[in-house]
Amino acid sequence: MNFQQADMVIVGGGGAGLRAAIAAAEANPRLDILLLSKVYPMRSHTVAAEGGCAGVIQPHDSFDAHFDDTVSGGDWLCDQDVVDYFVRHATEENLRLEHWGCPWSRKPDGSINVRAFGGMKIERTWFAADKSGFHILHTLFQTSLKYPSIRRCDEYFCTDLLVEDGACAGIQAIDMRNGSHTVIAASAVILATGGAARVYRYNTNGGIVTGDGMALAYRQGVPLRDMEFVQYHPTGLPGSGILITEAARGEGGVLTNRDGYRYLQDYGLGPETPLGEPRNKYMELGPRDRLSQAFWHEAQAGRALATRRGEAVNLDLRHLGEARINERLPFIRELARTYVNVDAVYEPIPVRPTAHYTMGGIQTDRHTATALPGLFAAGECASVGLHGANRLGSNSLAELGVFGRVAGEQAAARAGQGPVLDPQRLLAQAEDNAARLDALRESSGSESLAAIRDAMARAMEEGAGIFRLPGQLQQTCTAIAELKERYRKLGLVDRSRAFNTEWLNAIELGYLLDVAEAMAHAALARQESRGSHQRPEDFPRRDDAQFLKHSLVYRAADVPRLDWQDVVITRSQPAERHYGDAGQQEAKP
Amino acid sequence: MTDKVTVRVQRYRPEEDAAPWEQSFEVPYSEDLSILDALNQIKDQQDPTLSHRWSCRMAICGSCGVMVNNEPRLACKTFLRDYRDRGPVQVRALDNFPIERDLVSDISGLVEHLETVQPWLIRARESPVGEGAYLQTPEQMQRYAAFGQCINCGLCYAACPQFGRDPAFLGPGALALAQRYNLDSRDEGAAQRMQWLNADVGVWSCTFVGYCSEVCPKDVDPAAAINRGKVASDLNYAVNLFNILRGKDNA
Amino acid sequence: MRKPYVQRQRADWWLRNPAYRRYMLREATALPLLLYALLLMSGLYQFTRGEAAFLAWLALLRSPWLLALHGLALAAAQYHAVTWIALVPKILVIDSDRLRVSPATVQRVHQLGAVTCNAGLLVLALLLLRAAGGY
Repeated sequence: MNFQQADMVIVGGGGAGLRAAIAAAEANPRLDILLLSKVYPMRSHTVAAEGGCAGVIQPHDSFDAHFDDTVSGGDWLCDQDVVDYFVRHATEENLRLEHWGCPWSRKPDGSINVRAFGGMKIERTWFAADKSGFHILHTLFQTSLKYPSIRRCDEYFCTDLLVEDGACAGIQAIDMRNGSHTVIAASAVILATGGAARVYRYNTNGGIVTGDGMALAYRQGVPLRDMEFVQYHPTGLPGSGILITEAARGEGGVLTNRDGYRYLQDYGLGPETPLGEPRNKYMELGPRDRLSQAFWHEAQAGRALATRRGEAVNLDLRHLGEARINERLPFIRELARTYVNVDAVYEPIPVRPTAHYTMGGIQTDRHTATALPGLFAAGECASVGLHGANRLGSNSLAELGVFGRVAGEQAAARAGQGPVLDPQRLLAQAEDNAARLDALRESSGSESLAAIRDAMARAMEEGAGIFRLPGQLQQTCTAIAELKERYRKLGLVDRSRAFNTEWLNAIELGYLLDVAEAMAHAALARQESRGSHQRPEDFPRRDDAQFLKHSLVYRAADVPRLDWQDVVITRSQPAERHYGDAGQQEAKP
Repeated sequence: MTDKVTVRVQRYRPEEDAAPWEQSFEVPYSEDLSILDALNQIKDQQDPTLSHRWSCRMAICGSCGVMVNNEPRLACKTFLRDYRDRGPVQVRALDNFPIERDLVSDISGLVEHLETVQPWLIRARESPVGEGAYLQTPEQMQRYAAFGQCINCGLCYAACPQFGRDPAFLGPGALALAQRYNLDSRDEGAAQRMQWLNADVGVWSCTFVGYCSEVCPKDVDPAAAINRGKVASDLNYAVNLFNILRGKDNA
Repeated sequence: MRKPYVQRQRADWWLRNPAYRRYMLREATALPLLLYALLLMSGLYQFTRGEAAFLAWLALLRSPWLLALHGLALAAAQYHAVTWIALVPKILVIDSDRLRVSPATVQRVHQLGAVTCNAGLLVLALLLLRAAGGY
């Protein structure tokens, strides 16, 4: 057992983790900051974000307008004090990234350009062509190298949070190169481990997006909040689920069914906007939940295209022309060519909704602190209260900057004055954990890792997908419980230690199952339809009287325990969500 | 009847093997099947002890670089359909890097080289964000845009015989990254980075084989970056020489 | 336990890939040029030894082997020049706020320069030949 001491440790080297590390290093240059990740930081899934990053910049835009779009987009389940803080700080974070070198796309005069995005009334999405996440991540990684106080443990796999006297006292990790266990004692820990959409069969996420931080916190009694809200991105490639950015629609792309008809006008998003003239909050620029749900209805009605990769609709960019596609959407063109053999300049791209983003996560207050003293969380793994029941595209990249910084500063403040930790007690705890993990590595049960993983992904897709139907949702809860039981009888083949990915995948599967359980049970408990959580058969309406509340899932011995937390409402009272012309009539001060 | 393809995968298990060896697998063929899909299929259904890195599946995270029939490729962006009727497909760990295990390379050397070249925006004076964005026209951005597309996958290092000969060579990725910042109109750090371009392990270790640019999955053209670095290094030398001759030795 | 396997570069690495073979071919263009330079130097040396020695050297030049060497050296020099000029626009990038020259122009200037130099040398050789009495 190796032992290291740091002032603070950050788990996860994506956008939020890197931003937190830099913020902490700037807040207190004397701190020893350890950034630990199971992959080299530039592999983190922030890299795959495409469309852009929100922040009010145009003269005719306002913080209030961004606030309103976010709160209504989230179906009023956002904490409004958090949204307020967020919209007021997003732009400065985008500017900071610019000052660190992020190549935001520009107008001819050299100033920042912004594009339209779904659910946003005014263009406020900063973008770096269609590789915004890639550029943000690499800018942050490269900038982090400037700070000598940021140490990295690349390819260290976090297995446990260590808790002493009711406070987080560090973490335990496996050095993937040799399989050895390491304790890192620190009085402040930030979880920035990203989302968990890998619990679904079809998703836009990388293989590493397995909900590690959520499960780690959950296992220490920290509640997961709003886990029932999982965003389906309306445009993923059929088969693989690879993301085709919303910016494709922001730039003017349209969705058509098998008859070439722009079906979104039948789902409260119309009237149809002229080709090449996208209009904010109309048609293809409606919010993601509505668009994904519209696809489902089209498919039910038999109006989707049958492709050999499954059902799809067409995303048509042809009218944009080659020059604009190459300037604004070069990566989309490359992806469509490579993965579905379609050149977007000449043919429409087949797309379908795929699981994309977990709105919920580790419950934190607006300062990113969790219920466990010393433990902070930021980014997709956290539920700071920003996204409510449905996230607007481009708010999550901005969230990484705003709340990554807050987490870094908060943790730095605690790290400066944290309690003195006793290495012996931590090591004793860690030895027990290591024994458990090594037993897993040598497990010789009858169950196969891949079979459990695939069954989980199918069960989640069936019962906790775009629409949650009564019998199926219950079945999913039961199935997850059974799979957790089967997981105990796992049999692994690889007994080695050096870069044993079977072992690590097995630990990840444990995380995924915990997260899936929380999602399914939260979905079962929320007996209404709101945002991305839709129960059209048993509870088709939003029910503010009972469910204008955050769900909290606590881990318990048998089935998880549910609790509810009030939503912070400051100035926007819940109303109907309207888009298209209906939204226009409603949008009065 | 399903078509099968033979994939010959390099194995190296440090706890058991003295040297790498090769193992053959049969994988059901489909038109969409990438090398990565094939490896995942092998790991899930045939041999869970196979280790390889992967994540995004969409050629942007840079994890899954391997040698496919002796060419450096991203496994997720290489398809079995392009190797049909050419016999078995051979998949190995990237050339020129130590092999950690199976298809997993030890890329720590590459990452250290990236860290060396001061790849961050250097300014004599950093403006507060309150003053707004630094202006940069699309034309100015275009000057470094290609060199900023690097995903650090390491294919260019596997393609570089000079890196193979001397792992201390900073190599295509790191030198392209230095140029990415040197050519950014907002940056004022080119003079500081000149020490890395000029170093023994800098641009002059490159003999312009050019294969790095051929294998780059993101069209970064690192060979051009390095050789433009040679031009910059020459100019720097000439300017220094001129200053010395004029008695203004700043060395 | 960690035990990275260090891959050693094989002596025949340059035979193992078409890109490397092209590179080595280009590098190898130096060899005929080296031989050609040695040949010229030996001519100079024979010249210092007197007329008879020099005439013998001139006669030697007529051997098919040496004619072939000349052809080979010329081809090598041309191949090197063509491939070099093809790459120049990527390396010599003149693109600043004050001065911008298109890559195509950079390439054309180099092509023109190469043609001019070659043609100039040829003309010079013919003139010298005539001055020497049409040897």
